[in-house]
Amino acid sequence: MENDILVQLRSTSLFRGLSDEMLATLAERAVMRKLAPNDILMKKGEAGDSLFLIHTGWVKIVTEDSKGDELILNKCGPGEIIGEMALLDSEPRSASVIALEDAEALEVKQSAFQDALDKDPDISLSIIRSYSNRLRFSTTYIEKAIDWAQKIAEGDYSFIDQTQPLSKNAQTADDKAAQLLSAFFTMVRKVKEREDGLKQQLEQLSFEIDQARRKQEFEEITGTEFYAKLKEQAKNLRQKRAQQ
Amino acid sequence: MNKGKIVSIHSFRGGTGKSNTTANLAAQVALAGKRVGVVDTDIQSPGIHVLFGLDETKMGKTINDFLHGTATIREIGFPIGENTGGAEGRAKLAGKNLWLFPSSIRGREISQILREGVDFNKLNEGLQTTISEFDLDYLFIDTHPGLNEETLLSIATSDILIIILRPDNQDLQGTSVTVDIARSLDVPHLMLMVNKALPKYDFAQIKKEIEAKFSAPVSGVLPLTFDLADNASNDLFSLRYPDHEWSKSLRGVADAILAVK
Repeated sequence: MENDILVQLRSTSLFRGLSDEMLATLAERAVMRKLAPNDILMKKGEAGDSLFLIHTGWVKIVTEDSKGDELILNKCGPGEIIGEMALLDSEPRSASVIALEDAEALEVKQSAFQDALDKDPDISLSIIRSYSNRLRFSTTYIEKAIDWAQKIAEGDYSFIDQTQPLSKNAQTADDKAAQLLSAFFTMVRKVKEREDGLKQQLEQLSFEIDQARRKQEFEEITGTEFYAKLKEQAKNLRQKRAQQ
Repeated sequence: MNKGKIVSIHSFRGGTGKSNTTANLAAQVALAGKRVGVVDTDIQSPGIHVLFGLDETKMGKTINDFLHGTATIREIGFPIGENTGGAEGRAKLAGKNLWLFPSSIRGREISQILREGVDFNKLNEGLQTTISEFDLDYLFIDTHPGLNEETLLSIATSDILIIILRPDNQDLQGTSVTVDIARSLDVPHLMLMVNKALPKYDFAQIKKEIEAKFSAPVSGVLPLTFDLADNASNDLFSLRYPDHEWSKSLRGVADAILAVK
């Protein structure tokens, strides 16, 4: 299991740059928390001083809507990191995390993390790079998402075919920007499907003209002396106008 | 020299929204900076003049007086741009070159005029005088439904004929005869406008189907809208609600008129 944890830690973008030795130190001081269904892993508003790496099972990230009802923001499973911002800023938790089933989460305390930083200042640089990369990735795609949203508003869905599926571009599964964009693309495809469906639902009209009646009515009108004279006069008029 | 064009608006049956369309088209073309005249062919029934904010008591002499030689055309033209009144849409016409020419050339009266010797050439001369006296770019004629002699005269003298129809078989049947007549009378520019189309239908398909049936361009398919029917203030709808779908499509028809060389 020790090995599993190392593999999982290394697979996260946050710890990718760390040496095996450093990861081993973090893993050693980490605590495995066992959760039964509905156990609360972290509570919204509480001081945050650790991150969790989900080892097994699934948890939900929840907040409350305006009526006080539970609102699920996301679900996380094995290999995903929760609460990582707490390692740097110690701000209160922005959401609660509750186990959906029997689950295990590896808790890395801020103190353990900071001890590691003291031991090897290079880690700081590595961590800063990691955060910076994630920020850049998010910002780039947020800008793109704004651009796409404007295109959707104009009914232009061509970017779907011109853009690589983002889940494949994403570096790791725990990348929230990639998840958001994946959800975004799913949404756009669904919207487009519905729109195409509505277009097809527009009813088609077909018309019938009774050609015999058309001919008869035309002959009734044009068969008079009045019409013959008018046609002649109109013809002269057109010729006169053409010469002007 | 580019002479003014006579634009007749016709529909085979009543209720197609012809007067409303004529008034709005004339207003849009005037708004585009053109000098525009509108011949209101029936001042006895509420129609174009009401949309321009006039009632018949305000109108004195008519085109009939002019055709009989008892009035000059100058006395008849009513300058809308100087009398826009309070309505929000019409107010946009302030200072524009738009005149209304009331007339009363209904079937029976036109027969009388014909008996009195006002024939096609005289009517045409009258219209040409109107154009030259007011230096008009366009003279719109709101014709009567059906194909009586008065309407035939209007069609015969038109440079542009716009036939308004609803997307149903009865209107298409009547329109087919008008289209044949327009071709028989060598009208240089014929276009169709579909009005009161239910939004559940595919407008692009309606346009395609009707164009194929008549080999004539459909310059707009305009939706049936309660907003227009509810135009209680008798204002010019396309000026008052320029962003409405009906108004947008109507401007497309106005553009088609302006595009005719």
